[in-house]
Amino acid sequence: MADWQLIIIGGGLSGLAAGIRAARFGLKPLIVEQHSLPGGLNSYYLRQGHLLETGLHAMTNFAPPGLKHAPLNRLFRQLQLSRKEFTTHEQLESEVIFPGISLRFSNDLNLLIEEIAAHFPLAADRFRSLVREVDAYDPFAERPWQSARAFLRSRLAEPLLEDMLLLPLMVYGNAEEDDMDIGQFAIMFRAVFLEGFFRPAGTIKNLLDMLLAQYKAFGGEIRFRAPVAHILTDGGTVRGISLQSGEELFADAVLSTAGIPGTAEMSGWPLEAGRYTGKMSFMESISLVPELHLPPERSGKTIIFYSLKQRLAYHRPSGPIDPSWGVICFPDHFQGLAQSGPAQVRVTNAANYDLWRQADEAEYRRLKTDCGQQSAAAVRQLLGDYSRDAVYQDSFTPLTIERFTGKCAGAVYGSPVKIKSGKTPWPNLFIAGTDQGYLGIVGAMLSGVTIVNQHLLK
Amino acid sequence: MTRDEIKYMILDIIQDIDDEAEFDGLDEDKPLRDQLDLDSMDFLDIVMELRKRHKLQVPEEDYPQLATLMSCVNYLEPKLKDA
Repeated sequence: MADWQLIIIGGGLSGLAAGIRAARFGLKPLIVEQHSLPGGLNSYYLRQGHLLETGLHAMTNFAPPGLKHAPLNRLFRQLQLSRKEFTTHEQLESEVIFPGISLRFSNDLNLLIEEIAAHFPLAADRFRSLVREVDAYDPFAERPWQSARAFLRSRLAEPLLEDMLLLPLMVYGNAEEDDMDIGQFAIMFRAVFLEGFFRPAGTIKNLLDMLLAQYKAFGGEIRFRAPVAHILTDGGTVRGISLQSGEELFADAVLSTAGIPGTAEMSGWPLEAGRYTGKMSFMESISLVPELHLPPERSGKTIIFYSLKQRLAYHRPSGPIDPSWGVICFPDHFQGLAQSGPAQVRVTNAANYDLWRQADEAEYRRLKTDCGQQSAAAVRQLLGDYSRDAVYQDSFTPLTIERFTGKCAGAVYGSPVKIKSGKTPWPNLFIAGTDQGYLGIVGAMLSGVTIVNQHLLK
Repeated sequence: MTRDEIKYMILDIIQDIDDEAEFDGLDEDKPLRDQLDLDSMDFLDIVMELRKRHKLQVPEEDYPQLATLMSCVNYLEPKLKDA
């Protein structure tokens, strides 16, 4: 007799959502999380009296209550959480900046349409029909890989516009380099441009607390500081897990949110090495500034996506970071948020995992300082001297990401090859989360929900 | 359970699944999905709730029998007559 009906590896958003579904319908689940806090990539830490979020810039997939088929609202129904009582703050507006040109967009698609009409008059009608086409596309049907770039090239015939549209979509969810699968493109296009950015009221901690409370209310159990050593297999089936402490826990089924490479390592799943290890990792710097001094044309923005070069270089950089393109996020710049305490600025740049991995301790510290300065210098070209009075600065590197999230090689968006079915060689071992192919916070949770629905509840 | 009790039990389940469900003007002979704007994930939850509350297993081939409120009652009445 197994101890549990379902063991879930990982207390991130996909694991918590999977746990709520399982517990809600009477499966006895246990979540094991390696850290002392839930959230995985989207967690938080406390420094100098401030709660600082990791991961989250904004949630995508905004939908007001009442739109029943919107992913966000379906997710809330599936978790039996009240959407009406979940307070959200929509973005102000965001901007994609390339040399000599910028496109603003908000949660009202018309702003982006107007901006495209102003800067790319020939592409205005083509963009409108592209929106209709993406809206009608079913991204969840199993299909062979197709190039989103080729699709955009044939529909828009504007290489610069193509790069400007791809920058936010890629940097918020693309595990591949330079191009992306058209299905993943459609998911991201809807999530970012058709639905849009928002923040939950409070911090990510409020959302995580709400999920954890719901999970426990349904009878689910969770263990923190419980890193998994192995997934125990017995011939053709999985019997449970062993923890790094040596303790063995048995279950009828195991759901891993540790990614494809992590799951393979724990279970002995023979996979082609390298194919499932993502190349896209990032460095992120957080600055706390008493007062933000921004040039007028850059103030009141929620997120700025920038490229200082003509073409988007969405791939692993040859140096430790590539400051020539990136994301600048102002977590206080959402509708209805009053500034309390210092302003936060978060800057994200692509980073090369291998170069950070190879560095010894002294070199790593030096890289962290140098790259932080390079990144700030690039951002100063757009924002002026935004961080001169910073009271606090900290950076995450690809190694920080790998250590705290278990994401192999610090690849935030996981494997470039996804396993949409969630199946593994074992009939009672499943994967959910980033490597199952859903993206973002709402996507990660829907992944957990979908895999439990399809494989464990039916 | 009487036919009325089954009907209210179904409505109660739907309310539980979707706290925004509006039952005013619900036609008992028309598909619940269209009228209440439910999707296939919600529909699975009706089946799951029946299993949780009444230990009732509805096989996948019988899902079409749950399409309308009236067809639910007809389908469930013999299964819940001693409940």
